[in-house]
Amino acid sequence: MENKLKEILASAKEEIEKTTKEADLMNVKSKLLGKTSEISSLLSSLKDMSIEDKKKYGSLINNTKKELEGYVNNHLAKIESKSNITFDDTLDYDIKKGSLHPVTIVGREVTDLLRKMGFTIVSGPEMETEYYNFEALNVPKNHPARDMQDTYYLDNGMLLRTQTSDNQIHAMERYGAPLRICAPGRTFRNEDMDAGHETTFFQLEGMVIDKNISIENLLYTVRSLVREILKQDVEVRLRPGFFPFTEPSFEMDVSCTICGGKGCPTCKNSGWVELVPGGMVHPNVLRAGGIDPDEYTGFAFGFGLTRLAMMKYKISDIRLLNSGDVRFLEQFNIK
Amino acid sequence: MLISCNKLKTHIKNSEDIDFLKVWDKFTIRTAEVEEVKVVGGNIDGVVVAQIVDCQEHPDSDHMHVLMVDYGEKEPIQVVCGAPNVRKGLKTCFVKVGGHIDGIEIKPRPLRGVVSNGMCCSGRELGISDNHDGILELPDDYPVGKDIKELWPIDDIIVEIDNKSLTNRPDLWGHYGIAREVAAITEHELLPLEIEEIKNDKEDLNIVIKNPELCYRYCGLTVENIKNNTTPMDMQIFLYYAGMRSISLLVDLTNYLMLELGQPMHAFDKRVVKSLEIGLAKDGDTYTTLDGTERKLTSDNLMIKNGDKYFAIAGVMGGLDSEILPDTDSLFLESATFDPGSIRKTAISLGLRTEASARYEKSLDPNMADLAIKRFVYLLHKENKDMKITSNLTDVYPTKLEEGHISLTKKKLAIYMGKTLDDNVVKTILERIGFKVEVKDDTYEVVVPTFRHSKDVNIEEDLIEEVSRFYGLENFGPSPLCLELSSKEQDTVYNEEYEVKYLLANKYDMNEVHSYVWYDTNMLKELGVEKKGIKLLGKEQNNILRDDLAFSLLNIVNNNLKNYNSLKVFEIGSTFKNNQNERHLAVIYADDEKNIECLYNEAKNMVKTIFNNLKNISVTFKENVNEKEYYDSSLGKVIMAGEETIGTLNVLNKSCSNKIAKKKAIVMVDIDFDKYVSLKAASCQIKEVSKYPTVNLDYTVIADKDTKYSRISEVITAFKNKNIKSSHLVGVYEDDKSKKYTISFNVGSNEKTLTQEDLAKFKEKFISHIKDNNLEIIE
Repeated sequence: MENKLKEILASAKEEIEKTTKEADLMNVKSKLLGKTSEISSLLSSLKDMSIEDKKKYGSLINNTKKELEGYVNNHLAKIESKSNITFDDTLDYDIKKGSLHPVTIVGREVTDLLRKMGFTIVSGPEMETEYYNFEALNVPKNHPARDMQDTYYLDNGMLLRTQTSDNQIHAMERYGAPLRICAPGRTFRNEDMDAGHETTFFQLEGMVIDKNISIENLLYTVRSLVREILKQDVEVRLRPGFFPFTEPSFEMDVSCTICGGKGCPTCKNSGWVELVPGGMVHPNVLRAGGIDPDEYTGFAFGFGLTRLAMMKYKISDIRLLNSGDVRFLEQFNIK
Repeated sequence: MLISCNKLKTHIKNSEDIDFLKVWDKFTIRTAEVEEVKVVGGNIDGVVVAQIVDCQEHPDSDHMHVLMVDYGEKEPIQVVCGAPNVRKGLKTCFVKVGGHIDGIEIKPRPLRGVVSNGMCCSGRELGISDNHDGILELPDDYPVGKDIKELWPIDDIIVEIDNKSLTNRPDLWGHYGIAREVAAITEHELLPLEIEEIKNDKEDLNIVIKNPELCYRYCGLTVENIKNNTTPMDMQIFLYYAGMRSISLLVDLTNYLMLELGQPMHAFDKRVVKSLEIGLAKDGDTYTTLDGTERKLTSDNLMIKNGDKYFAIAGVMGGLDSEILPDTDSLFLESATFDPGSIRKTAISLGLRTEASARYEKSLDPNMADLAIKRFVYLLHKENKDMKITSNLTDVYPTKLEEGHISLTKKKLAIYMGKTLDDNVVKTILERIGFKVEVKDDTYEVVVPTFRHSKDVNIEEDLIEEVSRFYGLENFGPSPLCLELSSKEQDTVYNEEYEVKYLLANKYDMNEVHSYVWYDTNMLKELGVEKKGIKLLGKEQNNILRDDLAFSLLNIVNNNLKNYNSLKVFEIGSTFKNNQNERHLAVIYADDEKNIECLYNEAKNMVKTIFNNLKNISVTFKENVNEKEYYDSSLGKVIMAGEETIGTLNVLNKSCSNKIAKKKAIVMVDIDFDKYVSLKAASCQIKEVSKYPTVNLDYTVIADKDTKYSRISEVITAFKNKNIKSSHLVGVYEDDKSKKYTISFNVGSNEKTLTQEDLAKFKEKFISHIKDNNLEIIE
């Protein structure tokens, strides 16, 4: 009996391993373990044996049956692990890719950071009145900034805004104090174009108004923002500047990211790169926005989004950005 | 602006304690941007005073001479020189063998066979003027052998300050103002200017100001018997280092005063001056300025008139007939203050920006005008002992600019600074820059000198700027904003723009473009389209603002079709209509004409997806009669969100698209983005999912060839049955005679599993509905 079982096992194993398809294996399985199989007939022959033999052979036969089932299942797993479908799995097509404009990408990054810092993002009109672009921002009538050669004046008495600072007034009128806004947007200068100059470019305005806002708050905010944007622990230094809409006004320099502040050609050996103009909001500007300068103070700053995009992607000719040339634009991913 | 440190030193007490190479780093963070600090004269040494004791013609040259030069050593030495003005007895500057000029060592060398042991040099070679006409001619009393650097201020540090960073500081447009700032930065004392007080015991000059709102002050003085018109060497060198050319003492002194005090002056030849009147020009008059150019005047130009003739353009430039001549020995001296806006306007309109007009534009302190004359007289008198003042210092000054009085609240200062400063610190800082301070309990009562009050220091915040920069901007530390928990109303535009852009780039593989807000003139011409929009002033080309974003992008489409067969681009940007800004989304598809149906359907799906995914709103497309001539008149659609029109879908008509590219279809979608933003996203309505199975039933409806799906859709929608869960179009099949639309229904009940009889009933009802509508159905 034992030999017989061994024989069954050996020939079954051979037969199972020959199969390569699931269906074949199932046929073999029913032949080996089905009602008409040798194992089945051996099992049914048990009933005619003595109690001792029953005990002895019963477990032997059952073990063999289990072993057989084990062979079948293992081989089934083997078959299933390999697909029978055959095709050229090395074919490789190009994916279709869309792209976002680099200024959109950089603008999203900066506004995301500002949003986390509690800033509301606002958008203002590109065609503006003289009032919002100049007068309310404390730029008097004969100020050089109002010159024809810098500003696009329109035949309807309006103009194309020269800066995103018009949003300061719109935001104050809309939200009142306290407020914390940033305003990315398109701005316009009547300039001759070359690799470094464009008529149409993007800025981002930031403004905070609250009780007890100090110069140190401005420094903190700009430093945090610049560190996040540049992903480096740069230092920011304040330098006196002059803008009609802030008093005091500052140029905010960032320690040179190329040389780390030691001095190199990029920073003209000064160790600093001029990046963010800003200052404390001029009381006349607060008043124009309907806010009492004796109760509230605030700061404002500006970022050149176009310039930031050029820095980030090392774009050497500003005119590419408005060219609409897809050969250039499709290189930018969509994140 | 170029600043000479030698000059600054003369205005500051104990200036030898100041490191004039290093102080400019501090100046940059205290005052204004320094562009360059340059050491001059350092590459020159071994130059001494020498006398030519013998002068013979060179045997082998038609212009060179062989000299014997006494330069203070035992024996004179042989030198060869090619300058035309060599002569026996002349004292000149001589570079000894081993000495340097412009960093080059002078060695003995033969010139046409004769050895030259050193070099006589010109002003240009010495780096102190542009003059290279001959070697320098020194006064007879200069001691032979003396190092020239001990006699002349050749060694200097020249600093270039960015003019733009001085726009708001009229007081810094001269060396004296810069010296005041440097003295304050280094805690030194500023020395008063040496001047000559003028006894007003003579006659007043005849000066009339017609427009006191444009001419704030006019000072005049006449001086006669001026015999010496030679500028001292140290002044010549200073003028050259500061970027000007020495001409004659009288002209140089006016420039010197402008560079020193910042006050432009004018010296007229007294012989031609009768009576002066300051008033506006007559429209259309002409006047020839000093540079020989005839200028056309307008009634905006402020003029100085002499008798009834124009004499100078006030604050900008003088004329030919009032110029100082070589034989001028008497002067009419002008020192005036004009309205900055008026000067600026005149200078720009005449295209004549001068050193004087640049300064007047900055709002000069009128109280400097008489000081400049007294200083001029002092300096002129030093060179002309016998000169005579022949008039009173005539001062026409209708409205005197007084000192400013500002009350600076301690509390406000502390808020801005982020800290409270000691009273003494504030007082010391302000006094050091010339302000007077009285400390009160809650305020500082500050008197602002007129040289700061004429423009930039008028309010409390201006004083805070002064305190903060001298407290040291580098001493401010970053201080975080207070956490604000209340959330403001949000402006969602920027975010919604981004969501749409991201969807289009990500799902539809589109490229975002940026374009200009004006139409490309050439494109309009090429397409034969006329646009009557808002116009840019003063521009001939590209001067019409766009009122149709998609149409304005055709320029970009045109350029890209040179490189691509098909294109999908979009932009969110402004358009301008009726003096209003509008924000639009434009999407453009361009591909071969044969693919138009595919493009058209993709465009529709794209629009539906935007609204469905981002607003949970189903939009519909309505037939549209297009009013714009460049769109195809039959394929236009209006995009509707409920009852509201929110955009259009159009195809560029054949005549236009052929001009861009042959056999191309250009599909253009425009969505009013302002309206899009104002649409509130619909809330998500959840329906219970049936416990019982549903069945999909497909039917094929047969219609005439020219029946559009919109008709089929109407019929399907009109079929009401409570068991319809949803329905959709599966496909369209077309043969010679008819169109077959396969519609799929998902049918089920929430109460029970539908039986075969239920489904048969449904089918029966649907078939009869179709037939009632005169359509056929495959049963």
